[in-house]
Amino acid sequence: MRGITWRVLLAVMAAFAALVVAGCGGNDEEAGTGGGEATATATAEAEQFDPGTTLGKIQEKGEITIGVKFDVPPFGFKNPQTNEVEGFDVDLGRAVAESLGVEPKFIEAISDNRIPFLQDGTADLILSTMTINEERVGEIDFSDPYFIARGRILVKADNEEITGVDDLAGKNVCTVLGSTYEATLKKQAPEAKLRLVDSYSECLELIQNDTVDAVSTDDVILTGMIIQTGDELKLVGDELTQEPYGAGIKKGEQQMVDHVNEVFSAMKEEGRWKELYDKWVGQYTKEEQDPPDISVEEAVELVKQNEA
Amino acid sequence: MPIAFVDILTDNFGEWSSGFWVTVRLVIGSFVIAMVVGTFVAALRIAPNVWLQRLGGVYVEFFRNIPLLVLLFIVFLGLRDQGIRIDAWTAAILSLGLYTAAYIAEALRSGVFAVPKGQIEASLSLGFTYSQTLRRIVLPQAFRTVISPIGSLVIAMIKNSAIIGASIIALGDLLKVGRILNSRTFQAFPSFFWAAVGYLILTIAVTIAIRRLETRYAIRR
Amino acid sequence: MTAPAFIFDWVPAENNGRYLLEGFVINLEVAFVSLIAAMAFGLLLALLRLSRNRLVSFATGLWVDVFRNLPLVLLILFLTVLLKPVREAWENAAPDFLPESFQSGLVVGALAALILYNSAVLAEIMRAGILSLPRGQGEAASALGLTYAQSMRLVILPQGLRRMVPATVSQLITLNKDTTLVSLIAFQDVMRRGRSVVANAGNPFTGSKVEAPILEVFLFIGLLFIVVNLLLSRLSRRLEIREQKRSGTKLQRVEGLEDQIT
Repeated sequence: MRGITWRVLLAVMAAFAALVVAGCGGNDEEAGTGGGEATATATAEAEQFDPGTTLGKIQEKGEITIGVKFDVPPFGFKNPQTNEVEGFDVDLGRAVAESLGVEPKFIEAISDNRIPFLQDGTADLILSTMTINEERVGEIDFSDPYFIARGRILVKADNEEITGVDDLAGKNVCTVLGSTYEATLKKQAPEAKLRLVDSYSECLELIQNDTVDAVSTDDVILTGMIIQTGDELKLVGDELTQEPYGAGIKKGEQQMVDHVNEVFSAMKEEGRWKELYDKWVGQYTKEEQDPPDISVEEAVELVKQNEA
Repeated sequence: MPIAFVDILTDNFGEWSSGFWVTVRLVIGSFVIAMVVGTFVAALRIAPNVWLQRLGGVYVEFFRNIPLLVLLFIVFLGLRDQGIRIDAWTAAILSLGLYTAAYIAEALRSGVFAVPKGQIEASLSLGFTYSQTLRRIVLPQAFRTVISPIGSLVIAMIKNSAIIGASIIALGDLLKVGRILNSRTFQAFPSFFWAAVGYLILTIAVTIAIRRLETRYAIRR
Repeated sequence: MTAPAFIFDWVPAENNGRYLLEGFVINLEVAFVSLIAAMAFGLLLALLRLSRNRLVSFATGLWVDVFRNLPLVLLILFLTVLLKPVREAWENAAPDFLPESFQSGLVVGALAALILYNSAVLAEIMRAGILSLPRGQGEAASALGLTYAQSMRLVILPQGLRRMVPATVSQLITLNKDTTLVSLIAFQDVMRRGRSVVANAGNPFTGSKVEAPILEVFLFIGLLFIVVNLLLSRLSRRLEIREQKRSGTKLQRVEGLEDQIT
C-alpha cells in the first residue's frame, strides 16, 4: 500500500518538526543583553545624539551591535553553561553601550569577517583583540589603544640564569611556528635555539619536562600557563614586543571614534579600566598594569618596531 | 558602472591568476590522493575476505557521512594540537583527498561489478591469482567504465576546494582572492562574480575533458 | 595535555555535551527548512526546464547548470554581503519564538544560498526522474484526454517524484553536511559552539576545570553527523526496497549525480 511509504516519510518529517520545536525556547533566554541594571542610571546620564547621526540612529534603535570573539579567553569567550559571552572586550563593549543608553548586542567577529562586517554595517563596533597595524588603519578607523599585549619570556620558577632576552643565547626557547614571536626572537635573540611547535599547549609541556628552558609569547597566554601549573613558572625580563589592541570602527565615523575614545579615557582615569584588568587578567597574574595612553599613530609605530 | 566591473578583474589579474592556480593545484593534489586511496579502499570492498570488506565499508561510511569542514578541522587543528606536525597544504589535500576517496571507492566498486563475472571466472581458472586478475583484467575495465562518475567527482572537488580557501587554512585560492578584493574595494558583486567565473571555467573545462575521454575510452554496458 | 587516549570526559562536564547537541539541532533545522524550500523551488525549475517553450527551457537550463556548478561556499559568502538590507529587515522582524541563531540576519544569507544551490540540484534530480518514466505514461495520459497540467499532476509527477526519493534523501545527507558551511559567516551553529567549547574548557581564565582537546571535540561533532546521516541512508535503502516490492519494477537509480557529494 502506498500508505506505508508515505507514513514513513511523514514520520521522518514529524521527527524533524519535533526537533525544530524542541530547538526553540530552550536556548534563547539570553538575548545578548546584561546591561539591565545599569541602564536605568545610564539613560539619565547618556548624552543624546542627533537622530541624523550614526550614534543617534543607534540610540533610536535602542541597541548597538558589537563584534567580539567567542573563543578567546579572557577577552571574549562564550560559556557553554550559560550561552553568554563574557570577557574584557565584552565588558568594554557594555561600557560603551551604557554610555549611549542602549543595550549591547554581541555577535561573533571571526577574524575574516571583522572588517567586512564593519564596512557593511553588520557591526557598529568591533572589540576583538584586534591589533592596530598599518594595513588595517587603511581600511578602518581605530579607537585609542585599550590594551597592550606584551611579549614576555616564561621560565621555570627556580631558573636564575635567564632574566631577560639577552640571557636566551644558547638556550632552548619555544614559541609557535609562524607567529610574530618567531620573527621577534630571531631578531632579538639570534643566538637562541628556537624550538618551533604548532600550539602553545605544546610549549607548556616542553617547559614542564625541561626540554626547553623558556617560552615566549603574549603575556596573557603565558599567564594562562602560570595559572595552570601552580607555582612552577614565572615571567622574567622586559617586554619583547607590544601588540596594542584598538576598537574597530567604520572608516569615516569620526563621531563614533570620538565618543568611544571619551568612554575609554573616562574608564582609564576613573579606575574602571584597572578594575576590568584585575577582574580578567590581574587576579591571575598577580601583576598590575597601567592602562595604555598612546595614540593610534604611536600604536602603528610600535607595531612596526616589532617587525623591523 | 560597467567599466568598474571589469576593472576588478583586469586591475588585479595577477592575484586572480594566482588564486586560480592555487585552486588547480589543490584539486590535482587531492585527486591524486583520492585516486590512490580510493582504489585501495575499492579493492578492500571487493576482497573475498569479509573483514577486509567491512574495513573498506567503515572507511566509506565514515568519510561519506562526515562534513568536509569537520574533517578539515580534525586534520588541521586537531592533529596539530595533539603534536602531529602538519602544514596547511598537506592538511588541505589530505582532507579533500581522503574525503573524495570514499566516493571514488564506491564508483570504482560499481565499475568493477559492471565487469562481466565470466571474465573473472575465466581468468582465475586460467591460473591468474586474484590480485593479478584484479590488476590486469578487472581494474583496467573498471576504470574505463567509471570515467563519467569520476568526472563528476572532480567537479565536486573543484567546488569543495573553495571550502578550504574559506576556512581557517587560508591558502589563497580563487574564492579567497574574491573575498580579499571585496574587502579591499567594497565591490561585492564583481569580486564574487569573477571568482564564480573562475570556478565555472574549471568545471566546464573538466566537463569537456571528460566528454572527450568518454568518446575515446569509455565502455558502455 | 596531549594524552593520545580519547577520554571524552569533557562531554558530560560543564554542559559541554548538551551545548554541542543544541548546536547540532540548529544545523538539522537549517537543513530541514532549506530542503523544504529547495524542493518547492526545485520542482518549479524542473517544470520550467521541461517546458515546451524553447526559451524558457533554455534559460532555466542555464540557471540550473550555473548554480549546480558553483561552490556553495561562494554563494553563502556572496549572498550574505548582497542581501544586507534583507538581513537588517529580518533582524527587526524576526519573531521571538525562533531559536537565537535563527533571529540573526545571517540566517538570510545562509538559507538563500542553500536554497538556491539545492533547488538547482534537486531540479535536475526531479527532471531526471520525470524523464526516466516510460514515454507511454505521458502518451496514455493525453490519449485519455488529460490536459498537460492534469497529466503532470495525476500521472507523471507522482511516479517521477517517487523515483527520486533515494536521490533526494541522498541530497538531504549532503545538505546536512553543508549546513556546517554557515559557520564561515559566523552563524552560530555546532561548529562555532565547538570552537567556544574548546576555548572555554580547561582554560584558567574561565574557571573551567575540564579540558576539551580540539581533536576530540570535532570528532564528537563528526560522529553526530555520521550517526544521523547513516540513519538517513538506511532509511533511504529501506524506502527503495519497499518501492521495488510495491511496484514490482527495479527502481532506476538516477546516474550521473555524483556531483551531489557537496
